[in-house]
Amino acid sequence: MTQEREISQEMQSAFVDGQLDQAEWARIAARLQQDEGARAEICDLRALKELVRHAYEPPPGGRPAVSLGTRWAAVAALCAVSAAAGWVGRSAWLPDAVEVEHAVAAGSSLRAVAGDRILVHVSSSRRDLIAAALDEIEDVLRSARQRGRGLNVEIIANGPGLELLRADASGFSDRLAALRATYPGFTLVACAQTIERLREKGVAVRLLPGVQVAPSALDQVVRRLQGGWAYVRT
Amino acid sequence: MGFTRLFGASARLRAGIEAQRSALYRLAFAWCHDAALADDLVQETQLRALDRAAQLRDPARLRSWLCSILANALRDHYRRSRAFENVDDLDEAVLADPVTPETTSEATRLAARVRAEVARLPLGQRQVVTLVDLEGCSYAEVGEVLSVPIGTVMSRLCRARAVLKARLLDAAPGALRPELSGRRVWIVR
Repeated sequence: MTQEREISQEMQSAFVDGQLDQAEWARIAARLQQDEGARAEICDLRALKELVRHAYEPPPGGRPAVSLGTRWAAVAALCAVSAAAGWVGRSAWLPDAVEVEHAVAAGSSLRAVAGDRILVHVSSSRRDLIAAALDEIEDVLRSARQRGRGLNVEIIANGPGLELLRADASGFSDRLAALRATYPGFTLVACAQTIERLREKGVAVRLLPGVQVAPSALDQVVRRLQGGWAYVRT
Repeated sequence: MGFTRLFGASARLRAGIEAQRSALYRLAFAWCHDAALADDLVQETQLRALDRAAQLRDPARLRSWLCSILANALRDHYRRSRAFENVDDLDEAVLADPVTPETTSEATRLAARVRAEVARLPLGQRQVVTLVDLEGCSYAEVGEVLSVPIGTVMSRLCRARAVLKARLLDAAPGALRPELSGRRVWIVR
């Protein structure tokens, strides 16, 4: 039998990872019978694979995980009766709802969100997005008041979006203060996880007056959904 | 986009997203080696996934879909942190603050040493090797998750393994070589 060229690194890896079809696999397996060097290489690759797998099993944990198991179930149950809207790009509201009580009309605004509780999730620090969001929020709060309707709007901010609620970084502190003073139903919530991460980086976060803190943004979103709030994301 | 898309999605999909949580965390951790950041990335991934549930046409692709959202979340994180002038350099980036092996039990020390070496790989290679070894992804899936051609997947994987082999199995002293006969024991030389 003529000596074939040696098995390439790619083929060795593919062999170990089970990425070869049956014919290729058989060909390599046969070659390995005769090639002690290649067998050792395969052994090393398998050992490496196992080392990597063991190194992250279980992965070193940071904080205790937010337990969502039962909460998603609650969200699922809620879905049938809840109403919400999609927020795409700057301020375009699209009809997304499939099984919701009140469908949202195309091209309508935040006003079209049915229900009297709306959670607005801010995760970006883009000023144009935030300005547009605040315009919409103010508009919907004003119109609710004119119609004598009570309305709760809450902003939950995390990641780069937290900037909005930081006394030392927000470009909208006066605007937020004015909204809060005018509309008692307007509340602000910051994500504790983001604050902690900034703190670890040496950033001492000072929040604007009246800002509440939730364990995490996801936690707050799920909690609000369970409470029947509509959820929109900038 | 809001949760309404989710409302139209099946309960099975929502359960699926939640069921992937620990796998996503493990992968996120293997990519960034920072527990707090991994937590954030997983949270962001779940939120984005719920937000975009309608984008997932084929439920069988849930895992690779979630992994690609995670990869994008990590990319966005690095982009925001302005650690890199050019996002294209990201794949070649090595963790600035490599993991220092903590000293506890033998097994923990071994795992920490392996993690430290994985952390020293460029991000692109780190992602490929962990998707294949931790998630058991096929090469095609990895290519999809990271939006790179399959040839790139294979070359990154080979480079990563060559480096890991040199640093973990071949280099002395302190190299680890498994004793493959009988019980599976790792010998620290």
